[in-house]
Amino acid sequence: MASLIGYYSLITGLLCSFLIIFFSLNNFNRSDILNKKIVYFTFLQFFLVVVSFFGLILSFVFSDFTNSTVFNHSHTTKPLFYKISGTWGNHEGSLLLWLLVLTLFIFLFLLESKRQPIKYRLLTLLFQQIIIVGFFVFIIKTSNPFSYIFPAPKEGLGLNPILQDPALAIHPPILYLGYVGSSIIFSSALAATTLNYVSKEWAKHVKQWVLVSWIFLTLGILLGSIWAYYELGWGGFWFWDPVENVSLMPWLALTTLLHCILVLEKRLILTSWAIILSIATFTLSMSGTFLVRSGILNSVHTFANDPERGLFILIFLFSLIFLSIFIFLFFHKNENKSKNSFFWFSKETAILINNWFMMYFLSVILIGTIYPIFLEVLSSEKISVGPPFYNKLILPFLIPFLLAMAIGPKLNWIKSDLKNKANLFLFLIISLLLSIFIIRNLSINFLVNTILVTSALYLFFLTLRDFLIMKIKNLSQNLSHFGFSLLILSILFNNIFSSEIITNLKIGESFQSKQFTINFKSVDQKNERNFKAIIGKFEIENNDGTVEVLKPELRIYNQPNIVTSEADIKTNLIRDIFITMNLVQNQEYFNIRYQIKPFMIWIWFSVLIISFGGLISIFKRKHEH
Amino acid sequence: MYGRKVKLRLVFISLILVTLILSVYLIIKSLEENVVYFQSPTEIKALGEINNKKIRVGGMVKKNSILVESKDIKFVITDFKNEIIVIYSGAVPNLFSEGKGVVAEGFLNDRKLLLATKILAKHDENYMPPEVKEALEGK
Amino acid sequence: MNIKILPTILILFFCLIFLIFYKGLKNSNIYTPQSYLEIDVPVFVLKSFKKEDEINSKDIFKHDQFYLLNIWASWCVPCRAEHEFLMMLNNNKKIKIIGLNYKDKFDNAKNFIEEMGNPYFINLIDKNGTAAIDWGAYGVPESFLIYQNKVIKKYLGPLNDKSYFEIEEIIK
Repeated sequence: MASLIGYYSLITGLLCSFLIIFFSLNNFNRSDILNKKIVYFTFLQFFLVVVSFFGLILSFVFSDFTNSTVFNHSHTTKPLFYKISGTWGNHEGSLLLWLLVLTLFIFLFLLESKRQPIKYRLLTLLFQQIIIVGFFVFIIKTSNPFSYIFPAPKEGLGLNPILQDPALAIHPPILYLGYVGSSIIFSSALAATTLNYVSKEWAKHVKQWVLVSWIFLTLGILLGSIWAYYELGWGGFWFWDPVENVSLMPWLALTTLLHCILVLEKRLILTSWAIILSIATFTLSMSGTFLVRSGILNSVHTFANDPERGLFILIFLFSLIFLSIFIFLFFHKNENKSKNSFFWFSKETAILINNWFMMYFLSVILIGTIYPIFLEVLSSEKISVGPPFYNKLILPFLIPFLLAMAIGPKLNWIKSDLKNKANLFLFLIISLLLSIFIIRNLSINFLVNTILVTSALYLFFLTLRDFLIMKIKNLSQNLSHFGFSLLILSILFNNIFSSEIITNLKIGESFQSKQFTINFKSVDQKNERNFKAIIGKFEIENNDGTVEVLKPELRIYNQPNIVTSEADIKTNLIRDIFITMNLVQNQEYFNIRYQIKPFMIWIWFSVLIISFGGLISIFKRKHEH
Repeated sequence: MYGRKVKLRLVFISLILVTLILSVYLIIKSLEENVVYFQSPTEIKALGEINNKKIRVGGMVKKNSILVESKDIKFVITDFKNEIIVIYSGAVPNLFSEGKGVVAEGFLNDRKLLLATKILAKHDENYMPPEVKEALEGK
Repeated sequence: MNIKILPTILILFFCLIFLIFYKGLKNSNIYTPQSYLEIDVPVFVLKSFKKEDEINSKDIFKHDQFYLLNIWASWCVPCRAEHEFLMMLNNNKKIKIIGLNYKDKFDNAKNFIEEMGNPYFINLIDKNGTAAIDWGAYGVPESFLIYQNKVIKKYLGPLNDKSYFEIEEIIK
């Protein structure tokens, strides 16, 4: 029943699109006031998608196995929370969520853009409707979440246990808010280009949307990373896996856009650049969807393999790309060349330089991600590109990037001279000495690591100093840059000081290393509704006499029947200790992995700070209005 | 003579070009160094020479071949035509078991022995990584 | 002049990317487990669950109807997932499901069937897995749709609702 209602409201939602397009076109040349019907229908469309989405949620909650999505991804013994989160934990449901956010955002856009020119609002709406119609057709045609099974099976196939996790339950919605937010930027950029409305007012207006989607995208990536950290049991937080890369690429484009919009808002330069970035951000989000959903990528965790769906997204994606190329080339006017001049030593230059660096990082990741696809098509050679590639190409260029980030905000617009030169230099020396002191006794590449740590420390100190002396012109910017320096520092120290023991132990055995002894005490069993757990008990005796007890689990889920390792992690401010165990096919040895990961919590925390900076920026703007 | 503006523009454009070429060169060079090729046991047997580049070997874990010792894990990867012995010391993924598909990454010792540094298994209900399936189908 | 070169290059570039992705997509078809092998079914002689005497495969597949040979084992996890579909298929009179119990303990296999239901018309025992190799099986579960002594469709991995409907469609 719920499925049926869901399906029909989805169809009606698609019809709404045509009505909206019709009324908008009608309204476009005739009147100076926005036709009220357009707003109503936009709301109606949003409402219908909400109904459809709730229909799917209810089918999941009541385990209605006549619905094939529910059947394939749910099970009666699953806890209620995961029944609900299972709604978007699969291909069909997650697309419905995309659509939900798409319609929500365009409705919000109409509400909050009242001060903007009416033609711009209508055109943005029209471009957004093109995307919305595309998604409606995609869902209804190739991945209908409400398809019917007869006869109804008694039991569902269950949700993949590694997806049964709180972080992953909220990860997709947050990430989609970021992805889809970029669709508004895309539509609005195209509309502004067509109407030749790329101006300071436009920058001011679109900046909010950039900030909103940037914050959500940042948080979404953070959640995914946290999930990978404790659920996949590898103890890392970033693997340069294609699926992760496709979420990082829009983030880089969006971050670049954010800085670009800031310049545009103040100085009305870099207009073409801003438009290109707006288009690129959404295009990258869409390509991400294409790469993940089509199965064309050979990733360790791809979603579903279905070439037919892939083909649809591919054609849709490239239609959008060609549409935007067309609009950009034929409507965009590169005006006001005279205003274009600025001195090389200014805030603009610093931002521009970092823009270029971010574009470089973006291209490295893009090439690393799609090169295997190209090679396989052209030479049918199968390869994968690993972390060394990215580390080698990205790490060295972080140095000038960080330095520019530290100095840039201190400069003025147009033309600048460095104030407090002595002060800035002093901090550089302090950072250098401090990092030499930290790195000196370690058996790693001294030069690169020292300079890297120095530049990160430098940014850290400079931003910290601004907090301390309360001389903050731009709190949000300072906070985000501070967070970024903290992030880089934590990642560096995490890499440098991590240690890891992998060994096979029988119950009762112990493993001795220089700093600690791992005693494998015992195993226990526990029965839950949807899984059985084998709980190991490990005592870690450190040389300073302290003892930690860790209890990693091995979970055997009943539907689908899959074994997962649950890591046991003890966190404090300085380090995480992380242990996983695994049983290898009826052998008496357990495969034990024990890791000491310094500063893990600071990695999460610093990303929160970064996005918090964005949040402050939004509220500040609201305040100004 | 060119005007100052034009000159500046020329410098700017050439600067961009140089950076572009440099970064493309850098990227391609490290791609060559850092890619990992995927091969099946049969392909390895036909290999001309053994270099010490990292490779990935895919196939099925042979039945009754897993042997766990305190230091390392030994098992045999088979594509039902040829086999290769894998010695691995490290963490194994949950889906690693006999009769299942597996991808081992590491260095070849000789044509019959792989010293693995990483073992991968796909995290979904698919019982076989696509690479393995292809390798087994003889593609 | 300048204006015309740039768009052309841009559009050509994206067309190229489109083409490569498109071809890549075609390539990824290999991942979907379908080979249409119009070959005769292999001949084998095996014991079945019920009777002690051995059964020749020629006697099984001789009738003019559809058969589904399903390779399964009680230790195989995805087999549990697909069992439901086998039970559903069993309701269709046009098809007979032949089980090939792969490298399994007899008692475990029996328990499995008692617990999950028996969709199999005949259940053959392939204790050491040799018959499965004759069939070119990669692993368990695997299913072969057979008509007139020919394998017309092969399903690697567990059957799902998609393959279920496909089978229902074919045997109509």
